[in-house]
Amino acid sequence: MREQALRVAYVGRRFLHMLFVLWVIATILFFMFRLMPGDPSTAYIDPNFTGEQRQLVLQQFGLDRPLHEQYVIFLRNLARGEFGLSFRQRQPVLGLMLAVLPNTLLLTMTALIAAYAFGSLFGAWLAWRRGSLFETISIPLVLATRASPEFWIGMLMLAVFAFGLGWFPAGGANVAGAEYSSEWQRILSIDYLRHLALPALSLALFLQGLPVLLMRSNMLEVMREEFVTMSRMKGLPERSIMLRHAARNALLPLVTAFAITFGQLIGGNVVIETVFSWPGLGRMLVDAVANSDYPLAQGAFLLIAAILVAMNFVADLVYGLLDPRVTHDGG
Amino acid sequence: MRLAGKLAATASQLRNPYAFAGVAIYIAFVLVAVLAGWLAPYDPNDILFTADGQLAASLPPDAAHLLGTTQLGRDVFSQLVLGARPSLIVGVTAAVAVASIGTTVGLLSGYLRGAVDRVLMRLADIVLGLPFLPAVIVMVALMGPSLQNMIFAIVVLLWPNAARVIRSQVLTLAQRQFVEAARVTGASEWRIMLVHIAPNILPLSFLYGSIAVGWAILAQASVSFLGFGGSEVVSWGTMLQDAYASQALDRGQYAWFVPPGLCIVFVVLAGFLISRGYEELLFPRLRDD
Amino acid sequence: MSDLLAVTDLAVAYRLGKGLVHAVDGADLALPSGAMLGLVGESGCGKTTLARALMGVLPGNARITRGQVRLSGIDLVALPRAERRQHLWRDMSFVPQTAMNALDPVYRLRDQMREVLCRRGGLARGAADARAAELFEAVGLDARRLMDYPHQFSGGMRQRAAIAMALALKPKLVIADEPVTALDVIVQRQVLDTIRGLSLELGLSAIVITHDISVVAYLCSTIAVMYAGRIVEAGPTARVMAEPAHPYTMGLMNASPDLTRAGAELVPIEGSPPSLMHPPPGCRFAARCPFVLSECRAAMPETSDVAPGHSAACLRAAESAELRRKAQEAATWRQ
Repeated sequence: MREQALRVAYVGRRFLHMLFVLWVIATILFFMFRLMPGDPSTAYIDPNFTGEQRQLVLQQFGLDRPLHEQYVIFLRNLARGEFGLSFRQRQPVLGLMLAVLPNTLLLTMTALIAAYAFGSLFGAWLAWRRGSLFETISIPLVLATRASPEFWIGMLMLAVFAFGLGWFPAGGANVAGAEYSSEWQRILSIDYLRHLALPALSLALFLQGLPVLLMRSNMLEVMREEFVTMSRMKGLPERSIMLRHAARNALLPLVTAFAITFGQLIGGNVVIETVFSWPGLGRMLVDAVANSDYPLAQGAFLLIAAILVAMNFVADLVYGLLDPRVTHDGG
Repeated sequence: MRLAGKLAATASQLRNPYAFAGVAIYIAFVLVAVLAGWLAPYDPNDILFTADGQLAASLPPDAAHLLGTTQLGRDVFSQLVLGARPSLIVGVTAAVAVASIGTTVGLLSGYLRGAVDRVLMRLADIVLGLPFLPAVIVMVALMGPSLQNMIFAIVVLLWPNAARVIRSQVLTLAQRQFVEAARVTGASEWRIMLVHIAPNILPLSFLYGSIAVGWAILAQASVSFLGFGGSEVVSWGTMLQDAYASQALDRGQYAWFVPPGLCIVFVVLAGFLISRGYEELLFPRLRDD
Repeated sequence: MSDLLAVTDLAVAYRLGKGLVHAVDGADLALPSGAMLGLVGESGCGKTTLARALMGVLPGNARITRGQVRLSGIDLVALPRAERRQHLWRDMSFVPQTAMNALDPVYRLRDQMREVLCRRGGLARGAADARAAELFEAVGLDARRLMDYPHQFSGGMRQRAAIAMALALKPKLVIADEPVTALDVIVQRQVLDTIRGLSLELGLSAIVITHDISVVAYLCSTIAVMYAGRIVEAGPTARVMAEPAHPYTMGLMNASPDLTRAGAELVPIEGSPPSLMHPPPGCRFAARCPFVLSECRAAMPETSDVAPGHSAACLRAAESAELRRKAQEAATWRQ
């Protein structure tokens, strides 16, 4: 039962840490605009707003109140998901972001799962085939994929498979003007999946380098461990040793890497989404910054950061679950 | 005495094929960047015309234009060669800065522990909570699209990684017996830190720096590709942006957008290779394969 | 009475770079049923390699180059791999030096015991759990600790768990590689007592590998001394320790602290063992031996009996009584 208490304490600590980081980031954003020269209300009010809209935002954010009150209101709005009105689209930022969030999440998840599934298997296999010619060729190739700009991989894929061979559409998430009865219908349609294929594949190609190399190096290390030799001495079959003992231990860092990469990708997706005109959160951020649409830019940035920090927290949790040594050391 | 040993070790381990390949690639690119003025047949921003007065737009590769021309009639090869400069400048400067700051912070944090460690690591955690590219974009958008600002943004966002890595190495080292021995002889904490521990983590800083070059170049290319890099200075990233915006993909003008990407791949790969080569030196394994 | 284990002329070589290291070069051992044999030697003499070779688990670059390992008459070396695997753990098991890394950190002890008992022992889960509890109690561990992970155990407890695991399938022979070296003295004594108790109770045969003579003196009825890949002396423990016949053994006795001879000088043996990549043609101890003759360097000395059951590989074995007297003096050893 002490084990349970330690676990809960660990989770609690990591959660508070997450909240702390988010709070600081939000605070930095708040003061960033206040420190810029000019009227701070330009952060939320566009000169082209109607009188009504101007009033709404003024009240929501208490822009006529003293600074410390504005800060409290700001934090409270954040907790409620209130980010103001987009300058360009004159609509609540939260709604706009939530509309595109599924696209980003799907792209990220598909690419990550593909990359890690392939990566862990290939990495384990490379470890098994240590010293072979295959290994000597594979490793520099894998390194080269990690060294490539992901948008360049996307460009190559587009040029060859979309424009060149015409197998896949050249961008967007759906054929223009298509109608669907519900969001689920849209996401599961063949059309959507065809559009998803190339960006996800490009991203996966870029991502697989890490799990391949990590799995390989972990396996090599684990195979050297005493308990693997002991398993052989116990007369257990080799395949069982590889899977139940070697791979199980070697996978731990990969699981953490998966969660952390997910968090990073949400922001890093930016370039892939741009290359493929994929309507996601990253692209929304880039457009917003380019158009000086401050509320939208701020909202998108915060949401991306929140997902990043949350995924780091999840990574900690999962690692704690898988490696029994961690929770007991006091995190 | 120790320095001579380290130099000898560096020399001997350049024989390592990975490190050798990496260093060779770096040197090659640095040479290209330095000699770019002579290697480039044209000014990269010059709009060129053919013999009969037409715009030399989107020409396929030939003797006059090794990689063809852009949609606006600029020579791609010249752009490629001169584009090496901003890329490498950003890469190397950012890497050196990240490695320096990261080492300093990691050293102080890992050795002095206590309040210093807590504050520095909290700071690191906050920076690590920021999504990398979005943050670079936002910073560059606010400060203005210049190379210096790009370098600044990259350094601000990357130093925590380096600091963490160095700190963890320092933590391990600080527990070793030679530190205990130094303390017993009455050496001050600062002396131990600078004279005993620092030289032992410098190889790791160097190793980290060689990978950081790659990340910085990738970041600069990405930001330029997205249009926040400032289009006056031709870099590999702006070339790719230009190609994409001019529908080079649609036209299948591979000679335009493949070479800049390849250059980036090679430079970043060089960093990886060097770090693999050094890894064998830093963490030698019992050979039993 | 035929021995439980008979090792004849066993040789193991490692490939290192371009050369071969002959870690074990013609070792002979005999272990009767129910006896405990202590295998003693300094680090690098090949005892761990020998142990691994017996268990048939050598690293990728090592090979058994010649010899036989007969367990109850069956030559394990000659068996094909799959068949040999059948004997593992059921007929002979292993207790490692550092149980810290020898237990998989991500599985509870109960699951690791189940793995051995069910998959190798054919027991059903319930029966396996009962037997695991029994084994834990036998080694002095609380059965409730089966639900713990390895890192939650102290060093001594981990060693006991490793012993429990080794006894799981009731093997005829247990090989223990430095079973107590990594523990502090008090815990050492406790674990040794546990082993002793078990050996008496279960009639265990064991080979205890160690560099610490006192452990052998405490636990084992017979002793074999290993040097540079060969067994240089073997026999009943009490005899060999009181009347060593090989100069190396004599040196070992001198170099080990002995509470009964408090105040006596500790005399180390000068020099270090020869390279096993290019071993010298004659006796391997010749370079460090204070009693060396020119014949010693010419050819490998045969093993001869000094007394019934007590053999030594030394040309001057017959003069051992006189050499022993000289060996007692510190001056003999200073070259």
